[in-house]
Amino acid sequence: MGDLLYAFTEWLRTTWVTEASLAISDWKASVWLDTHFWAIPIMQVTHILAISAAFGSILMINLRIFRLAGTERTFGETERRYVRWIWWALVVLVISGIGMTIAEPVRELVNPVFWIKMPLVVVAILVSLWFHHLSMRRLAAGGVPGPVMKTGALLIIILWMVIMLCGRWIAYAPV
Amino acid sequence: MNPESTTIWDTIQNSNLGTTIAESTWMFPTLETIHVIFLVTVLGTIFVVDLRMLGWTSNKFAVTAVAKDTLPWTWGAFIGAAITGSLLWVSKAHDYMNNPYFLLKMATMALAGLNMMYFHFITWRTVEHWDRDASMPVAVKVAAALSILLWFGVVFFGRAIGFTLGIFGS
Repeated sequence: MGDLLYAFTEWLRTTWVTEASLAISDWKASVWLDTHFWAIPIMQVTHILAISAAFGSILMINLRIFRLAGTERTFGETERRYVRWIWWALVVLVISGIGMTIAEPVRELVNPVFWIKMPLVVVAILVSLWFHHLSMRRLAAGGVPGPVMKTGALLIIILWMVIMLCGRWIAYAPV
Repeated sequence: MNPESTTIWDTIQNSNLGTTIAESTWMFPTLETIHVIFLVTVLGTIFVVDLRMLGWTSNKFAVTAVAKDTLPWTWGAFIGAAITGSLLWVSKAHDYMNNPYFLLKMATMALAGLNMMYFHFITWRTVEHWDRDASMPVAVKVAAALSILLWFGVVFFGRAIGFTLGIFGS
């Protein structure tokens, strides 16, 4: 796994990503963020707090599907309570994420774990869109969650955990 | 690191468990990752209750019902975060005990615990009077706001440790 990631980094070094990240590091915003000691920690804290809000909400929706939480609510009520918070948290996650990338472009962009994390984030958002708008609507109309929906709920939780794992391992990627 | 163990923190850091975690390439990052996933779960579920207590969300539903839904997950995840956090601490016990942000994190967490205990043992006594209200009594709102602020602080100090170990270390 380490060797594979290392090869990925080597390949990233040969692409336009390296030049682009070096160009970003010359931006005024990048220099400012990088030279102010608390800028990067504060963006990371914002990122962690936002993923907490999102993950807490995702967990509660999926626990509702398993009837492990919120059983006195309908699916429609559960959806209305949490989905808005997930989307707002995602907005904060994207903004703080872009901020961290501008602050440390080489560390983030010339990094195999970053490029594993990004497609997973896109998949997670698309799956959530599909899952919430289709499945939850069907359930709100009075349906009962079957094995497919329960598997989906579990996979969404695992997917977000893998995304958090990738987020942490950006710092430990073999570069 | 100090080869001649002088304080209890050095002894812990130089223990078999401490050096095993510190010298392994993957153990510290892996424990840290599990720690993050647990603490994100702790915070996420606490926020759900705090927002209800502030009267911002879930106002149709009883506070007791919201708490019942989230608390088992909050406590389960907290135990997980405490275990992984302790293992991380053992591997750098001396460095953490000399880091002001680690000590601030522990103090902030203790305050969050006191806030929770005051709410649980004092404010909660009258819960049947406001359980289903959309707008909560001031004491409940204050407890929720303090909880959010203190947990924000725990995350900030926790993240600050990683940026300052080199400054206050050894």
